[in-house]
Amino acid sequence: MTQKKTETKEIAGLLCRLIVGGVFIYAGVIKVLAPAEEFAFAIESYRVLNAQLSLYAAYAMPWIELYAGLLLAAGVFTRLSALLTGALLASFEVMLGQAWLRHLPVTSCGCFGNSKSNSLAHEFIQNIGLLVLTWAAFKYGGAWSGDRLVEKP
Amino acid sequence: MVNQKNARLAALAFTLIFVSTIAMLLARQFDLGPERPSPAFRTFGPANAPVHIYEYTDFSCPACRGAAGKIDEMIKVFGAGLRVSFKHYPLTGIHPWSLQAAVYADCAGEQGKFREYGALLFENQEKWAFVKETPKEFEEYAGQLKLDWPKMQACAENPETKKLIRLEMAEGDMKNVNATPTFFVNGHRAVGAGQLIDQAMKFDNLLKKGAQ
Repeated sequence: MTQKKTETKEIAGLLCRLIVGGVFIYAGVIKVLAPAEEFAFAIESYRVLNAQLSLYAAYAMPWIELYAGLLLAAGVFTRLSALLTGALLASFEVMLGQAWLRHLPVTSCGCFGNSKSNSLAHEFIQNIGLLVLTWAAFKYGGAWSGDRLVEKP
Repeated sequence: MVNQKNARLAALAFTLIFVSTIAMLLARQFDLGPERPSPAFRTFGPANAPVHIYEYTDFSCPACRGAAGKIDEMIKVFGAGLRVSFKHYPLTGIHPWSLQAAVYADCAGEQGKFREYGALLFENQEKWAFVKETPKEFEEYAGQLKLDWPKMQACAENPETKKLIRLEMAEGDMKNVNATPTFFVNGHRAVGAGQLIDQAMKFDNLLKKGAQ
């Protein structure tokens, strides 16, 4: 009975890992293949960073998202990757939350490149969902992972 | 044992990062990113046309003036077989007023006269392209076309207008556009009017079929 429970948790953890990792890979690839300026304009609209810093962030962030997503989906340093992904999501929440509270006219959240985004509130709540999945991946995401693979003799 | 495990994981992580980086850089090089549409006022021809040309252009560039005539002719000849979208790629390093010209052309476009305003800019290129002071021609052409000049000025001062053009310049950079006019005929690159005709000839059947 306990073993079955553990298996269910592990499968759920694997799914969470793949979902969050997949979302990050998709977001990263879409932005890496687009001009950095496009994402930079979205970052600027949050009015936290100036134009120059927004551009630097726009150069770096898509690659970080891609790598974090890949490592999490593949289960390489699973807990560390989940922590990194969680930290990224938390920072996105701070950005979204302050823009939401300040009623900033953010037309594209920049989450998935040029594609039209939902309202800030919608994105904020969606990210909370992703944070919960990341927590599950952190706690139970060991199945079918790179971590387990290297443990085998 | 722990160290060996970590070393293996580090090697795995490095491989993933290395392979994904190379794959992304290659995808960029082969231009596999999505094509961004031009605003409706800069796009001519039906959406279902079998041949779609994107032109990266600069109103101060003499070769673009020459190509504009060719494009107009092609639009007339192939009608429904061809869709043309213009994208700005002002060479600001050598053409001091090209960005401003693109801004005003877009603002004229917002009032429904992008092509007409662009035609006047090309036609009189030598009058305004290299002057020292802000060219008075921008206002003059707006007057000739009976455009609302205060509205155009407000549009030109709106940062969003310039943002769109800067984004297209960045997109051009990503596609390795470094000369104007550069065309993408159904995704195939052509630089200058001569190459445009050569590329278009490859789609001759589609153009003729679509035109019927």
